[in-house]
Amino acid sequence: MKPPPFEYYRPSSLEGALTLLAEREEAKPLAGGQSLIPAMNFRLAAPAMLVDLNDLGELAGITAAGAGIRIGAMTRHSAVERDRRIAERAPLLWETMPHIAHPQIRNRGTVGGSLAHADPAAELPAVMVAVEATVLLRSTRGERRVPAAEFFTGLFRTALLPGELVTAIEIPPLPPRTGWAFEEFARRHGDYALVGVAVLVTLDGGGRCERARIALLSVGDGPVLATRAMGTLQDSDLDASVIREAAERGARDDIEPPSDIHASEAYRRQLTRVLTRRALTRAVARAREASR
Amino acid sequence: MIVEGSYPLPGSPDVIWDLLMDPDVLAKVMPGTKALSRTAPDRYEGTMGVGIGPITAAEFELTITLTDLQRPASYTMQIDGKGRFGFTRGTANVELASEGVGTVMRYRADLQVGGKIAGLGQRLLDSVSRMLTRQGLDALNRELTARLT
Repeated sequence: MKPPPFEYYRPSSLEGALTLLAEREEAKPLAGGQSLIPAMNFRLAAPAMLVDLNDLGELAGITAAGAGIRIGAMTRHSAVERDRRIAERAPLLWETMPHIAHPQIRNRGTVGGSLAHADPAAELPAVMVAVEATVLLRSTRGERRVPAAEFFTGLFRTALLPGELVTAIEIPPLPPRTGWAFEEFARRHGDYALVGVAVLVTLDGGGRCERARIALLSVGDGPVLATRAMGTLQDSDLDASVIREAAERGARDDIEPPSDIHASEAYRRQLTRVLTRRALTRAVARAREASR
Repeated sequence: MIVEGSYPLPGSPDVIWDLLMDPDVLAKVMPGTKALSRTAPDRYEGTMGVGIGPITAAEFELTITLTDLQRPASYTMQIDGKGRFGFTRGTANVELASEGVGTVMRYRADLQVGGKIAGLGQRLLDSVSRMLTRQGLDALNRELTARLT
């Protein structure tokens, strides 16, 4: 299928892109095009004008930011997947990358594009909420830094204002004595996950839970922080029964999952229960390993 | 697809009933409504445009026929919508019960969605219909609150 006609611009500088976006409110930024272009080809989306960001080298690339890491918005998923620094500094993200769609899509799709698109079934929004990343935004009016948990505001909705672009994401360093795990379930690998969960667990000096972060995907309008499940773990000894209780709490009280032909609400709750338990079990084992 | 729930509203069932039968109020509170008019005592026709995220707002023609009117306690809507991206049809039951100083509205809609939007957007239909329902009820709540104060 072919998209309806549109104007096409391919600026060579970020300033040029931001000026176009500020001047023309109908302009839509084009990153990797792995969601927008299919929607246009099916004629579900019909932006009058595209601003192609693919010549903006300044937006691509991975750099150290203190002990953490900064990923430019136009960095391809496959570049993140293959970067050793990601494995060392952001292991939860590293573990998640192979779950995102298919290799062909990861070769083209971008980190910033996935975040700005804010699909409720996408992996990266949940991971960024779990690791408490900061989303960097730019417009002709200036730069803003928004915590990931505040960036995602609803179904395909974000804190992005008209004329604003995601320029980068900053992931803070992994605290000491911290374990991580990502789990998701899809009927076929690469399909939208029916449920996914990203987990970070930090132990205190005595081996109890100092802090836990559990972010779920595909169970709401966007990434869902499972605050009640996290509360269950807080200060506990993280044994199997506490993990089971937290997973139960998350599946019961933290989510209102949708029902569709792929999975009923009840099945999504069951998947949440099982995947959260598995992810927590692995994350706690890693945290204990890191505490030795 | 089933959309159901309940929502507490200020005011008596009678007051809410009048609002729910007023096309001007409905046009204001139903998300994406571009035009809505009463074409027969029990019939409304209108145009709506609903866009979600990257999906361009597509216009569709909507006809609502009211049946089983039990003022102020309950009524049923026959819903029929057609547009470029697909169609929807089905029934929705609305019940109003006074509770304390206000009213609790219970609703249950059984809708069939077909066409392109059902094929491509299936995994999002439930979330989208919940979101639109919530937006509509929040808007009705605001309208009621404004009228009662």
